[in-house]
Amino acid sequence: MEDTVSYQRLPKVRIREMRDDFMKFELRETDASMANALRRVMIAEVPTVAIDLVEISVNSSVLNDEFIAHRLGLIPLTSDNAMEMRFSRDCDSCDGDGQCEYCSVEFHLSAKCESDQTLDVTSADLHSVDHRVVPVDVQKAFDSDGYDPNQRGILIVKLRRGQELKLRAIARKGIGKDHAKWSPAATVTFMYEPQIHINEELMETLTFEEKESLVDSSPTKVFSIDPDTQQVVVMDAEAYTYDEEVIKKAESMGKPGLVEIYAKEDSFIFTVESTGAIKAPQLVINAIKVLQQKLDAVRLQDDNNFNELDAHLGGS
Amino acid sequence: MNAPDRYERFVVPEGTKKVSYERDTKIVNAASFTVEREDHTIGNIVRMQLHRDPNVLFAGYKLPHPLQYKIVVRIHTTSHSSPTQAYNQAINDLDKELDYLKDAFEAEVSRVGQANQHQGF
Ligand SMILES: [Zn+2]
Repeated sequence: MEDTVSYQRLPKVRIREMRDDFMKFELRETDASMANALRRVMIAEVPTVAIDLVEISVNSSVLNDEFIAHRLGLIPLTSDNAMEMRFSRDCDSCDGDGQCEYCSVEFHLSAKCESDQTLDVTSADLHSVDHRVVPVDVQKAFDSDGYDPNQRGILIVKLRRGQELKLRAIARKGIGKDHAKWSPAATVTFMYEPQIHINEELMETLTFEEKESLVDSSPTKVFSIDPDTQQVVVMDAEAYTYDEEVIKKAESMGKPGLVEIYAKEDSFIFTVESTGAIKAPQLVINAIKVLQQKLDAVRLQDDNNFNELDAHLGGS
Repeated sequence: MNAPDRYERFVVPEGTKKVSYERDTKIVNAASFTVEREDHTIGNIVRMQLHRDPNVLFAGYKLPHPLQYKIVVRIHTTSHSSPTQAYNQAINDLDKELDYLKDAFEAEVSRVGQANQHQGF
C-alpha cells in the first residue's frame, strides 16, 4: 500500500543575523502555511519554565499576595532543559502534584527592609534550588561576570522600613497557549520577500521632479535616485510594507505599470525575538521539533486503518 | 467560577480519540477526519500539503467553533488513492520536510556561529 512517491519540499535557510535574544533569517522554497505554523508554534507551543505556584508566608508589602504571585510568574527563567522536563499534569513521580524534581523547580525569596532607604526586591533575590533554572537576567549577569550597577534585576516590589516579604515558589513547565508567561517569544514575525520591477523605459519619460515625487510617495524609504545617473533605483526592497502608495502615485501620474511589486510566495524573512528563556536559534529548532511531535500525534492509529479496510472489504 | 480549565484547549480528554475518521456516505473516496485539540497550526499545513498531491481532488479544513478545540479535515481523492492514504502521505511528507529543515537550520546556525566567533562577537 505504501507508495514511494513524495511531495516533500526541501526548504532553504540563510541566517542574516544571530544573537542570543534576536535573529533574522530567510526561509525559502516552502509555503506560507509552513512559515505560519512555525511562527505560531514559537509563540504558543514551545515549552519553557515559569513560576506557577506561590506560597506566601509573610507579606507586609503594599502589594497584595496575588499581585506578587502574578509578577513572579512573568519573570523569564532559563529554560534550556524544558524540552526534557515533564508537564506536572502527566508526571508519574509526583502523581500530578507538581512538586518533584522531574516537573518542577523550587524557589525561595526572603527580604526585609531594615533601613530608611527603600529596598528593591528583584529577581536577583529569587533563590533557585536548581542552578539550571534561574531568572534570565541573573544568568546574564553571571555569564558576563561583571557587576553592572544599572542591572539590578527585575523589580518585584519595593519595601519600606519594617516591611517584609517571605515566600516559596514552584516553577513548572508550560506553554504559551496555557498562559502567556510561558511564551519564550517576545515577537516572531515573517514577511514575504518583495520583488520590485521598475519599467526603465517608462521611467525615462519622467522629469527629475516627477522622479523625486515618486520616490517620496513611499512612506518607507524603498527607492532613491542615483546622484550620478539620476535614475530611480531600489534602495531597500524589504522596507516596503505592501502599502501600494508608489503604485497609486504612478497611476495618478498617468504612468500605470511604472513600478510593479510582487510578493514572492515561497520566500520569507523571519525575525525572532526571545524573552531570553530560550536562545533565539534554539527557539527555532525547538519549534521544528514541537511541530514534528504534533504531526506525530495526529497520525492515524492502526485501528483506524483496519476500520477502513473492513469497510472496503465489506462494502464493495 | 464555572470557567473551563485552561488545559482543556490542548489536553485530549480521557476516552477520546485524537483522530477519528468518517467516510462520506454519498461520495466514494471522500472522508472527514476529526482531529481533537488541534487548530490552524496543524489544519493549514496539512491542507496545503494535501494540495500538492495530484490525486487529491479536494482538501479543506475548518475550526467549527473557537470554543470547540478540534478541527475537521475533509479529503476527496481520485480512485488511485484514498483519503487515509493521502492523509498519511501528507503527514509523512511534512515530517520529512521538517527533518530536512532542522538539519539545514542547524548547519546554518553552526556556520554563522563560527563566523561570529571569528569576528569576535
Ligand atoms: Zn512531578
